[in-house]
Amino acid sequence: MSGYRIRKGKEIAFFLAIAILTLITILPLFHIIATVFINGLPSVAEKGFTFLTGTLSEGGIGPAIIGTFVLMFLSSLIGLPIALLVGIYAYEYPDSLIGKWTKTLLQIMLEFPTILVGVFVMNIIAIPMGSYSAFAGAFALAIILMPYVAVYTHEAMRQIPFTYREASFGLGLTRIKVIFRLLVPLSKRGVLTGVLIGMAKVAGETAPLLFTAGGLYQSYSIGIFKPVGAIPLLIYTLVQSPSKVDHATAWGASLVLLLIFLLVFIPVRMSLKEVKL
Amino acid sequence: MSVLQKIKRIDGFKIITSPAVMFVFLLFAWMLIVYFYNALPAFVREGLATYFKNVWQATEEASKEHYGLLAAIWGTVYTSIIAILVALPLSIAYSVFVIDYAPKKIKNALIVLSDVMAGLPTIIYGIWGVFVLVPLLQKYVMFPLHKHLSFIPIFSSPPITGYSYFSAGILLGIMVTPFASAIMREAYQMIPFTYREAAIASGMTRYEATKTLLGYIKPAIFSGMILAFGRAVGETVAVSLVIGNTFNLSIGLFSPGYTISSLIANQFGNAFIYEHMLPALYAAGLALFIIGLAVNIAGLYLFRKWEKNVRI
Amino acid sequence: MSDFAIETKKLRIYYGENEIIKGIDLKVPKNVVFALMGPSGCGKSTLLRAFNRLLELNKEARVEGEVLILGKNVYGNGVNPIDVRKQVGMVFQYPNPFPHLSIYDNVAIGLKLNHLVKSKEELDERVKWALEKAFLWDEVKGRLDDYPASLSGGQKQRLVIARALALKPKILLMDEPTANVDPIGTRKIEELLFELKREYTIVLVTHEPMQAARVSDYVGFLYLGKLVEVGLTREIFEKPKHELTEKYVTGVLV
Repeated sequence: MSGYRIRKGKEIAFFLAIAILTLITILPLFHIIATVFINGLPSVAEKGFTFLTGTLSEGGIGPAIIGTFVLMFLSSLIGLPIALLVGIYAYEYPDSLIGKWTKTLLQIMLEFPTILVGVFVMNIIAIPMGSYSAFAGAFALAIILMPYVAVYTHEAMRQIPFTYREASFGLGLTRIKVIFRLLVPLSKRGVLTGVLIGMAKVAGETAPLLFTAGGLYQSYSIGIFKPVGAIPLLIYTLVQSPSKVDHATAWGASLVLLLIFLLVFIPVRMSLKEVKL
Repeated sequence: MSVLQKIKRIDGFKIITSPAVMFVFLLFAWMLIVYFYNALPAFVREGLATYFKNVWQATEEASKEHYGLLAAIWGTVYTSIIAILVALPLSIAYSVFVIDYAPKKIKNALIVLSDVMAGLPTIIYGIWGVFVLVPLLQKYVMFPLHKHLSFIPIFSSPPITGYSYFSAGILLGIMVTPFASAIMREAYQMIPFTYREAAIASGMTRYEATKTLLGYIKPAIFSGMILAFGRAVGETVAVSLVIGNTFNLSIGLFSPGYTISSLIANQFGNAFIYEHMLPALYAAGLALFIIGLAVNIAGLYLFRKWEKNVRI
Repeated sequence: MSDFAIETKKLRIYYGENEIIKGIDLKVPKNVVFALMGPSGCGKSTLLRAFNRLLELNKEARVEGEVLILGKNVYGNGVNPIDVRKQVGMVFQYPNPFPHLSIYDNVAIGLKLNHLVKSKEELDERVKWALEKAFLWDEVKGRLDDYPASLSGGQKQRLVIARALALKPKILLMDEPTANVDPIGTRKIEELLFELKREYTIVLVTHEPMQAARVSDYVGFLYLGKLVEVGLTREIFEKPKHELTEKYVTGVLV
């Protein structure tokens, strides 16, 4: 029976190893959330409401919060229509050469280094226009957003049972009406999920904004062609500063960013079976 | 067919969607062209030394400027390898635990948690890395290893600031683990149920069954690691905050260094002052572009190939 | 104008390399219920989808020969499949009203998107008319804004019939419309067929010979992609000429 005991022992050892490694994997998340709260809350509490509304010299990150929302809005405006159309195209022509290439390209763009998008947009927009701008930042974010939304749209539409496709075409409708008036609305839930996940992702991006958005933390002068701030960008700048005060502000800003992310991401994630990130 | 009929037959759907598809393809091609075109002067001036030499001389005298990216390329590869060495055992264990061992409730919670980790803004990993992880690693890992094992080359450099290949690699490892485990989970779940049944029915213990099944998805694990490597290669802000940003070409884990992305993030802002720095940075971008593209295509290709084999 | 609602000439259908329909010449008279029966996999659903060119949704499928709808070859040059489908309504094996549209909108959608009505009043009227035609009006008139999820399987299928009728087609194709409906719902749909054939030609695909016997005027027996026998339903069931048909209608061949 010792053979059996060895096997049983191995089994227990294996289970323990797996469980411990799993714990190690997930531990950083809790540690991160805890430290962000521990370090962020005092800094937010100290300034109170000013932290959310004041400019940087007043000890607040108001312009950065507004900037993040402006960028989210503008990048959605630019990226969503294109992303939806591309995702729909990939769904409609799954076997055509371009359809297959489109799917592959989307997968590649999903993994594409985001800093390269930032430098590219600097080159084609910020330099020719002579300044950093909300538009340049939003365009860079739109490039990041597109593959997410397109992939989700494609996936959502692929879930539609074939019989609804037959029913739609059976009514004597053109392809354009079948797709846009019947099948897209039919899968709106999945499409919307993709949009929200993409926006949550974009809200946290830093690298694409480095050379495009410019940053604006001392005033609220918002304009599409003016520099704009963003919470992640502000954190990146403040972390590199030697001042302790700046670090405290960075932690506070991280708390705000974390909350925005979790508030969008968790509900969306809970309503889903699988996500792609 | 009359003209009117022909006009009616033109597919409105294609007219609306094709430009969007074309736009995305052109955008991507344009990106490649921008990097290539702007990097060209660097290759003309320095030749292959652009990629194979470690030198960074930024001076006001244009003729004395020299830029070689080897340190950044090395740093990128080195930190990404550390990252996947961290991610490999963690993500396998995580996937196995989630699928085979965890009760249903814990299972769902764990999957959501790892998705949160995968989606968490990277700057939050960055600030945590700078103020929490690096000091911890420095005190409890780097100093002891350096003190007792400094005769081993990789532990030989002193962890002066803590900012190093090692810190960047560990942080990247933590960041890419959920991503790698998502791929493995997908693969692990694709194993036809009969194999699972067969493994248990043939009298294997759970451990033995798991081992057998893991062998079955080995190619998927491999492609997951490649994709995780690709993600580590592209990561910018978190890395640039903990790697130390120094032109260094060292095997010593605890030395500070550079990665391509952190180099771009750090130097682009002041590159315009110098005559020849900008092309060098575009050359760095081009290298990142090509490494990223090659790694991701390889990973995707291998995964799809494996997927096809499984389906049959 | 042709005397037949549907006529096929040397119709062959391929899925990739496989020949599914192997040369069929079929004539469906007007204002009858024509049942296409045969064991599953014999190609009857495929044949049905050739009539309104719905097969084109499947990229593998290829059609040779002619299908004449009211005398006009729908596979002829310059024929737009969209125009064909407006004339030929379809009901499916799985009751598939659009789940995201209200009962009202399910009937109205085809009219709206094809711009077949001029005013809201006309639309309301046509929706009511179609639902009445489908014997569904009395059951849903108080809850037109509800979603089809609240309907029974049989009601859903009658909603699909109303959706098709709203476009005022000449022909109705029905692909095993009662396969996913309970017995009571099935009876209602079968009763409906008797009413509808006054104004429409109905082609009904079924794998139950008894259903064909109950509701059809003509019947075609399809086996392995070939039309084995076709004729008046009474004759086919009373004295089948072909041995295979006899086996099928007596339930020996399934």
